[in-house]
Amino acid sequence: MSNIEPIKEKNLQETQIKEILLDCEKYNIPGELFIRILSHVPSYAENLYDAMKRSFYSGNVSHKLKELIRIQLSFISGDVYSQGIRSKIALEEGLSEEDIESACSNFENDERFSEKEKWALSYSYLMYKDPKKIDSSFYEKGKQFYTEAQIMEIGSFVALHYGLQVFMRTISLSSS
Amino acid sequence: MRSASAKQMGLTEEILDDGIENYEKSENFTKKEKLALLYSELMASNPEKIDCNFYKKLGEFFSEEEIVELGAFIGFNIGYHTFFGTLDFYPMFSPDGKLVDQNESRRIYGDRPLSHLKGAIKRSKEIN
Repeated sequence: MSNIEPIKEKNLQETQIKEILLDCEKYNIPGELFIRILSHVPSYAENLYDAMKRSFYSGNVSHKLKELIRIQLSFISGDVYSQGIRSKIALEEGLSEEDIESACSNFENDERFSEKEKWALSYSYLMYKDPKKIDSSFYEKGKQFYTEAQIMEIGSFVALHYGLQVFMRTISLSSS
Repeated sequence: MRSASAKQMGLTEEILDDGIENYEKSENFTKKEKLALLYSELMASNPEKIDCNFYKKLGEFFSEEEIVELGAFIGFNIGYHTFFGTLDFYPMFSPDGKLVDQNESRRIYGDRPLSHLKGAIKRSKEIN
């Protein structure tokens, strides 16, 4: 039992949230249960879902990379719920559990990731583990691989997902 | 930066400083407000301490809707404040509302821009 119970689908009044739940079935991230928790505040559910969906499924950074970052963050934040769910699109793009395990542990030494991907995974890892290391030199290195727009896309993605995962961690929601 | 609405509702720099450094003992805050401030502090620093008992305590003062509102708000801000901190940019305005460039803003707000009373207000007057 979680610390805040998800609203039961039959009790949801807002049409827009019902549509969001159909979307969640299609994409799987951020997951239906998370939306039903946020639905205690319908406007939050609608707007945060919109932000999460846009940050995850649109833009100019690889979706597969973002999924690796999202799951990596979930281990840093301690959010068991987010650890347990997978983006259907990323899986279709070939993301494996081995990729995920490496992104969450030894990515710096793993040849499966390019230097570009390693920078992004370092960025998300350091943001909440050791943010002082994300200095001007770190950003200069990132600009060797990404445009400023892409760096903002990754940074904003990291911020949004990590912050909400920290909240979700305290709810103690299971993805099963 | 400060919320204009919050200032209009009576939030002062003194209350802000108290809320950040001394809220547990302060008479400026109700038990309800103190619990909300503790919720936010723990979510940022020790989320493992926010357990079912803590949520039960929150439930004594807040509805589930309010708790979700607070929790999501806090999480969102934790995420973004940390990200913004890495970008190394400062407020566009001095504490008294004058537009300043980034170098001036860095000088006014310093490395720890949290409290306006601990230097920022004085330093903003020095550039005038």
